[in-house]
Amino acid sequence: MREYGAFTKKEFLEFFRTYKYLVMGLVFLLLGIMSPLAAKFLPELMKEFMPEGMQIALAEPSALDAWAQFFKNVTQIGLIILVILFSGSMASEYGKGTLVTILAKGMPRKTVIFAKFTAASAAWTGAYLLCFLTAWFYAWYFWRGEAWSAALLFSVFCLWLFGILLIAASLFGGVLFRTIYGSLLFTGGIVVLQFLLNIVPKAGKYLPVSLASQNMALLQGTAVTADLAWAAVTTAVLTVLFLAGSCFVFGKKQI
Amino acid sequence: MKVLLENLPLLLPLIIIELVLMTVALVHIFRHPNYRFGNRAVWILAVVFIQIIGPVIYLLFGRGEDE
Repeated sequence: MREYGAFTKKEFLEFFRTYKYLVMGLVFLLLGIMSPLAAKFLPELMKEFMPEGMQIALAEPSALDAWAQFFKNVTQIGLIILVILFSGSMASEYGKGTLVTILAKGMPRKTVIFAKFTAASAAWTGAYLLCFLTAWFYAWYFWRGEAWSAALLFSVFCLWLFGILLIAASLFGGVLFRTIYGSLLFTGGIVVLQFLLNIVPKAGKYLPVSLASQNMALLQGTAVTADLAWAAVTTAVLTVLFLAGSCFVFGKKQI
Repeated sequence: MKVLLENLPLLLPLIIIELVLMTVALVHIFRHPNYRFGNRAVWILAVVFIQIIGPVIYLLFGRGEDE
């Protein structure tokens, strides 16, 4: 337990010193601010820049638009930043040989995996929470009560769970291939594979990727919590499998 | 543009975030002579003129090792 605490602390310190916290925190804060703002002001801006005499019917923006922007931004920009930031974690340890001494001193190898996973998950949770709370505040400011809906928390939770899966996948990829690119390709491959499997009818229900694509359907009421329950279960199982796989492979690898 | 000016207080956080990122990246550029690729002039231009993305790219990819 002591080794785990110390190594997790080292990870946090590393994130801090390599500007990962700063970049991640600010980018997610930015996404949180921008999403409701974009939803609110895009129609007005478009009106402003429209050529004289041109008419387009623009719907009055609603809180749903803000959440649509939020989920779009977090899946398209946020998750990519997340994976890029943490994919180098294993590769740099391999590359610099920094693990040799501590492992030789008797620290269990799986501690490295768990500590890295904990630190990355904590960073993601914090940044995502910050992003969500900011977006919510702005949405509340513009639309008051409309900003809240019963499905919101579950919808936000789904995307969070998907982020955790991506962290576990990039960790596993890093352990397997020892390079940043290997880790990125592995994580990207997992996502692309899910898109391909999504073509199979009825498979979508079980695929983790629906956690990141059905968020708006949940808010609009075209999907219910039960539709995503299986996807959440697969995601949790896959995360555990990736972690166990990482521990197993890392235990056998020569450092 | 009137819409933007009226809502300046709402947009202020965005501007502050951009400035913080730019400052941190600039300080790092001036303190370190070596970059993973590119040179000082290129990075200064990128960080100052490409909003948000410039500093983020510098801090994530262009930054040399701290030695």
